[in-house]
Amino acid sequence: MVAKITSFITNSSVYRSIKAGGQKVQQAFYDVIPNKVITSEKWQKRIEWVNKEISTPENRLILGATALMSQPFIDAHNKSVDNDTRKVSVCRTLAKIIAGTFTGYFIRKGCIKAIDKWSKLPSSVDKAGNKIKLTKLNTLFSPSNALSDISNAFVQYKNALGTILALGVMTITNFVIDAPLTKFLTNKFVAAAGGVKHDGSK
Amino acid sequence: MTVLSNLAENISKNYMKCKNYLYTHYGENPGKMLVHTGVLGWILSSAAQVLAVVVNDKIPAKEKMFLIPQEFADAGVNILSFYLVTNSFTAVGNKLVKSGKLLTPKLKNFVEEQKIQDLGKVTTDISKNMSGDIRDHFMKFKGGVSIIASTLGSILSCNIITPVLRNQYAARKQKEILAMKDKNSSEPSVPGAVQKASKHFTIRPLSMADYQKLAYMKFSGNSTNMRI
Repeated sequence: MVAKITSFITNSSVYRSIKAGGQKVQQAFYDVIPNKVITSEKWQKRIEWVNKEISTPENRLILGATALMSQPFIDAHNKSVDNDTRKVSVCRTLAKIIAGTFTGYFIRKGCIKAIDKWSKLPSSVDKAGNKIKLTKLNTLFSPSNALSDISNAFVQYKNALGTILALGVMTITNFVIDAPLTKFLTNKFVAAAGGVKHDGSK
Repeated sequence: MTVLSNLAENISKNYMKCKNYLYTHYGENPGKMLVHTGVLGWILSSAAQVLAVVVNDKIPAKEKMFLIPQEFADAGVNILSFYLVTNSFTAVGNKLVKSGKLLTPKLKNFVEEQKIQDLGKVTTDISKNMSGDIRDHFMKFKGGVSIIASTLGSILSCNIITPVLRNQYAARKQKEILAMKDKNSSEPSVPGAVQKASKHFTIRPLSMADYQKLAYMKFSGNSTNMRI
């Protein structure tokens, strides 16, 4: 039934003309970008390195570092609030970024390591090169369609699963670690910035 | 017993299907994985914030009726801007490699050998007949470009677009609260933000105390408006 409806929609002239229109717009955008062959060996290696080494923990670290360079300035130029509020807002943003990046990076890394430990394949070997004995626990997260544990696809799979696990963990640590750490750091930063005139929080 | 063993078998089958799905879909497309886990992160952190308001008994029911839709709106801005911007960047990155607009010398040789026409057209897919080493090289290159594109997209959306949109939204909401306070001056429901001058309330920018009290009410004394 669903397949019939889908086929009816995709074969309709309205759908086809919308798709063709969308493709024309896309093509106009891509036509602006010149064709490029990356001849530099250094850049090719860098792109391969990114594919191999950068995953969600590093992405979180990059986001944290760039957030430190942009968000406090956006808050500092927010004209809709008074000076004291602006100062607290900047301090709170700084604290939030530091706390969030710290827990975000380490929890992601830890969960990916845990998934790595429990996703062994028949081809898996230990550091000494000996075959790892497969158990229920160390194959808990192993997919049945993966052939080699050194393939890039398998590494990316472990990163994805580790990140999903980390997100679940972080819904708890967001309250248990991030929130109190943010509050603590905010107070420290506000004090370091000379405090505020009308502190009515106490 | 048979029912239980059938159930266990079903769960086990679906669990394996789920792992295999993740392997097939994210194994070869790390950029897509960054976008999807990013969106999931925003959804979970937004849900946690809504939950924090719902279960906080320090917030009166009247305030909750105002704060919960506000949290949903805030979540909508975060999730939509992240998904639209980051996904677009990733899609462009993938398409540049797939359509042959961005190549390495190895891929260029392959394209010339295969006599692939229409390089750079959105409908072109240079990976159609790839296998072996060249496919591996293509996947690594595409993966790298895709990660760079999605990282740039998430920097733009999380660190520039979302904070600007949120500040504008928060400022508009503050004005609405102040206007509401002005109307219901005899029964103030949100602390601060108004100043009594004889019998009238006048609007002024939020002070530090007001800001902290509002933040306290909204986030139970702690900031949880964080990306996880």
